Amino acid sequence: MKKARIALLAAHVLAGVWLVAGAAAAQDMSFSLDETDGSSDTMTDSGDTPDSVASDSGDVIGDLAGTGPAADTTAGRDTPEHVDEAREEIYAVQQIYALRLNRVEISPSYSATLNDPFISHNGIGLGLNYWFTNVLAVGANFIWYQGLENDSDINFQVRRSTRLAVPVNQYQLGAHLAFTYVPIYGKFAMFNEFIFQYDLYVLGGVGIMRTRPLPVVDPEVRSFDFDIRVAFNVGIGLRVFITRWLAIFAEIRDYMYLEQLESLDVALGSARADSSTWTQSSPAFINNVTTHLGLTFFLPFDFEYRLPR
Amino acid sequence: MHGQTNISAGITMRTLFMAAALALGIGVTGLAAPSQASAQEVQITGPLAGQPAVRHMRTYRANRFNLMPTVGYTLQDEFARALFVGLEANYHFLDWLGVGIWAAYNPADIDTDLTSQISTTGQTTDRNRLSLPQASNFSHQIGHIRWAVSAHLIFVPLRGKLSLFQSIFVDTDLYIFAGIAIWGIEERAGIADGSAEQQSCATADSMTGQSSGACVQTQLARASRVAPAPIFGLGLSLYANSWFGISLEWRASVFSWNPSGTDESGHDQHGQPGSGFPDHVLDGTDSRTTFTHMVQLGLIFNLPPEQSTTE
Repeated sequence: MKKARIALLAAHVLAGVWLVAGAAAAQDMSFSLDETDGSSDTMTDSGDTPDSVASDSGDVIGDLAGTGPAADTTAGRDTPEHVDEAREEIYAVQQIYALRLNRVEISPSYSATLNDPFISHNGIGLGLNYWFTNVLAVGANFIWYQGLENDSDINFQVRRSTRLAVPVNQYQLGAHLAFTYVPIYGKFAMFNEFIFQYDLYVLGGVGIMRTRPLPVVDPEVRSFDFDIRVAFNVGIGLRVFITRWLAIFAEIRDYMYLEQLESLDVALGSARADSSTWTQSSPAFINNVTTHLGLTFFLPFDFEYRLPR
Repeated sequence: MHGQTNISAGITMRTLFMAAALALGIGVTGLAAPSQASAQEVQITGPLAGQPAVRHMRTYRANRFNLMPTVGYTLQDEFARALFVGLEANYHFLDWLGVGIWAAYNPADIDTDLTSQISTTGQTTDRNRLSLPQASNFSHQIGHIRWAVSAHLIFVPLRGKLSLFQSIFVDTDLYIFAGIAIWGIEERAGIADGSAEQQSCATADSMTGQSSGACVQTQLARASRVAPAPIFGLGLSLYANSWFGISLEWRASVFSWNPSGTDESGHDQHGQPGSGFPDHVLDGTDSRTTFTHMVQLGLIFNLPPEQSTTE
């Protein structure tokens, strides 16, 4: 009975050693160059590696040291300094190029409307985000429109040729809160020379806009003041890092709100001057699809990175 | 072989890129250079120093054809949007350079809300009778893009991969292209000065007070022509495997046409618009230059199916 227990214990120890060895081998393979292209070259244990397959041995650091395959198998692996260097360079999880966690993001941008052929709501904006995880941030953005908008020729031409006035609106400013989430990140190589990290993010939130109808139906009499509208926003964006604290970004965001439009009917007589007749009876749901282009500055510029092993 | 080509090309392109990046940095951003190396230059002092940025990179394009059935949709049209189905064929000499052709046909137009509004509430007077003989027929007078063909040069500056929720990894590249396109346009037929069509729209029918039947016929008459124009755009490819992927593309072109089918030109004796409008003629002077752009989704089929890798 005692012998049986000893045998069982020995079996467990052997199984444990085998499992540990197997796990280590699997981790070694995860660093193989060959795995990156999915080639079927066989990787063998380093002690049994024949010279003919030395360059495919999976010794990444040895291969990259530039001493050639033959040198790798002999001098490279037998040199203690080399092994130490490899231990310094390889980690279980590689560094993220620009860590966002606990950093503040300041984003000046220029924006323009994508879906309104009659008036382009150009604006300059400033965004502020705080990243409370590496993929999730809360923030606000402010956009100033007044004085930057363009009324297109098509608006005038339609009025002239079809006798139809298209009600348009003017924006003054927008201020919005939003959560940002980064579900996708990756990197680009430019000409196999430079590597750029990027991420693709989605965001959504709520805010306000100050808008007013632009009088086109009866401009001689009507005038409107800016008023506050509650606006929801959803968007998607791409951020490309230039340095660890500077990135450029492009974003498409839909600002949705209920707009009060100018009435197409002109009241007769004294009622024409009654401002209550100047707007339509029910508000219209507006999708202001906007593209933002800008820069992002991450603060603080430096961050401490703790490398897991 | 592919790796050697890419490396030599990369050195040339690196010089060009550095010059462009320098100009961009000074002229556009005006920002002080960061204290550390920029563009994520490999800041490695260990055994990886001096090594290529990417090894064993899968080359999806070099010396391969790709065929792409596409579906596209125009953006920011005032009167009608075009839904294009097409086919694109490209051949790449290098992993970052290729040539291609694209052909697309528009089987269905989608009128905008503005067209519907004009059809229901547009008003016709003697002054705009030629522009809008009958409001309810406005959707029949607007211009449409029927088809398009283009030949283009493709440049692929960025190649990479992305992670989706840290569980799905796909290879990707970002490309830009530019070339020449021919747009097949269908517009309202022209009306010459002194013609019977012009006379028919001079005044309302005395019996009905509306536009005469002959004038309404000018609203329905169509003419086709082609418009050569530059075309350019950019796209993102996502590769599922060595021979299949999807492409999301934005393409734009600038050409002159009359999308509304209305009489827009006319000037007074001083050559200024205003009192001389309208000139009661429909011709090329009524056209205006538009920025026509679209988004397009494509399925990528790479041929031959096998791919190579760099060193």
